[in-house]
Amino acid sequence: MLPAIGSAGLSIDDVAARLGAELGADLTDAHVQEPDTVVAAVERTRLHDVAVRLRALDGLAYESCNFVAAVDHRDHFETVYHLYSFASNTYLELHVEVPRAKPVVDTVSDVWPAADWHEREAWDMMGIRFEGHPDLRRILLSDDWVGHPLRKDYVDSIENHPHV
Amino acid sequence: MSDAFPTTAPDEAMALALRRIAESEAAGRGSEMAGLGFNQVVVNMGPQHPSTHGVLRLVVTLDGELVRDVIPVIGYLHRGKEKLAEKRTYFQYIPIPDRTEYVAGMNCEWGYVRTVEKLAGIQPTRRSEFIRVVMAELNRIASHQVGVGTFVADLAPLGTALVFYAFRHREKILDLFESASGARMMFNYFRFGGVRYDLPDGWVEQCRELMTQVPAWCDEYESLVNDNAVFLQRCIGKGVMTQEDVGDYAITGPNARASGVAHDLRRTRPYSVYPELDFKVCLGEHGDVYDRYQVRVDEIRESARIVLQCLDMLPSGPVQLGTLRAPYVITPPPGACYTAQENPRGEYGTYIESDGSRYPYRLKYRDPCFVNLQIFPKLLRGNKIADAVAISGSMDLVLGGIDR
Repeated sequence: MLPAIGSAGLSIDDVAARLGAELGADLTDAHVQEPDTVVAAVERTRLHDVAVRLRALDGLAYESCNFVAAVDHRDHFETVYHLYSFASNTYLELHVEVPRAKPVVDTVSDVWPAADWHEREAWDMMGIRFEGHPDLRRILLSDDWVGHPLRKDYVDSIENHPHV
Repeated sequence: MSDAFPTTAPDEAMALALRRIAESEAAGRGSEMAGLGFNQVVVNMGPQHPSTHGVLRLVVTLDGELVRDVIPVIGYLHRGKEKLAEKRTYFQYIPIPDRTEYVAGMNCEWGYVRTVEKLAGIQPTRRSEFIRVVMAELNRIASHQVGVGTFVADLAPLGTALVFYAFRHREKILDLFESASGARMMFNYFRFGGVRYDLPDGWVEQCRELMTQVPAWCDEYESLVNDNAVFLQRCIGKGVMTQEDVGDYAITGPNARASGVAHDLRRTRPYSVYPELDFKVCLGEHGDVYDRYQVRVDEIRESARIVLQCLDMLPSGPVQLGTLRAPYVITPPPGACYTAQENPRGEYGTYIESDGSRYPYRLKYRDPCFVNLQIFPKLLRGNKIADAVAISGSMDLVLGGIDR
């Protein structure tokens, strides 16, 4: 059974304080985005550990991974994880910086099964590899596509989709 | 014949299915029918298959009639909408979200426009807020009519009548859309700070008259199937989704509420004028196929109530912001923003990152069907293939949203 929505009765500031106390060392730059979201940055190497602890947080467990987005910032990539906690009815948005030279980050699909396809999409579109993902194949584009179209330096060419 | 249709190597999904069969047989978990001389077979269902309601392809591993494994393959309708956003101004992009979850275009457009409004700090006019809610709820009714109608039609010949009734009623709602926005399905109706046109003369009365008929429509749908023994046998206890599944797979919308999770963004993350309206969050109990069907029918009734309230409360005033130029050229300050709202199929979110220019730097959809589809392998495994059709119909997928 999931906890009833909002049953913890925590305000967003309470949640931010609680997160700061429990994971303060790992969540940098944490701030509240009105009305119900805590935004924070996480070190790439700490992501999986943080995910496991957030999923198991007593009374404030983040049961759902809403989506994973990948953003190309030209000098680096960023993955964004949007999490939802039923008990507190609040969201947590984690930003992880991924180096462009070696775009690899640990998967969280073992913690939140819902992240599975979002990570496949990020691989397909942005070329970010998720270490430990069980089935990292292309998802929206065809198997033989060349390149990752949502990268800012992607140049489209007929050679990239030979089946057309 | 063989020259005209050369056989090609199996694609990755097919190869994966075959590999998994080989693994299961190597581990001694071969076909239960092996004694009868059968093996597990891979059946390619779709992308052109009447019961997948679009170009969904399921690579199904069957053991006799039993589904052993399912690999969904998507992307056949991919049109690169996230990439398109980076090449269009915020204003030019408004018609495009219509084409994601295309049976609920109003809701999708609203989702995009709301995110940009939040980024740019635009407050829509009060009259337009009510018009938006009316349109969104009308579209929820129309969308659930498609969902329920096609789902019942999948089950057995008994449902054919329902799908025709539902579609006939839906057409009346689409007529309302057409007279307000000019289009049946691809509206281009929302604007930053308001909506494109005010309601035409007589529209409110017409809409009110139609909405008073909605409870009778629902009674009609229910009377067609709810007492039917064959329908009940094919629905009750099939494809049960537990509350843990809802959390793990981030299931939202009627599919989550059918499992008793009271997650409805209109209530849990209120937006627009929903806090002022009186409506019930419709819940199921068991999370099976039947509850998912019943929740949708109940929501049609609730949406009609919401529309009627909005029409009674509809204030006068402008439907767009006074400054004519403002809605057309938008340059939100740098930053990122995610807003979500309750679409007929669940949480439809848009994540937009702005770099301060006239073009979105990055736009990402969180489409409810894309997320809901992930649970298919878990839900279908162990069922008969005919039940798999019922279960996938009850999830009410729209491929335009999944593939984007």
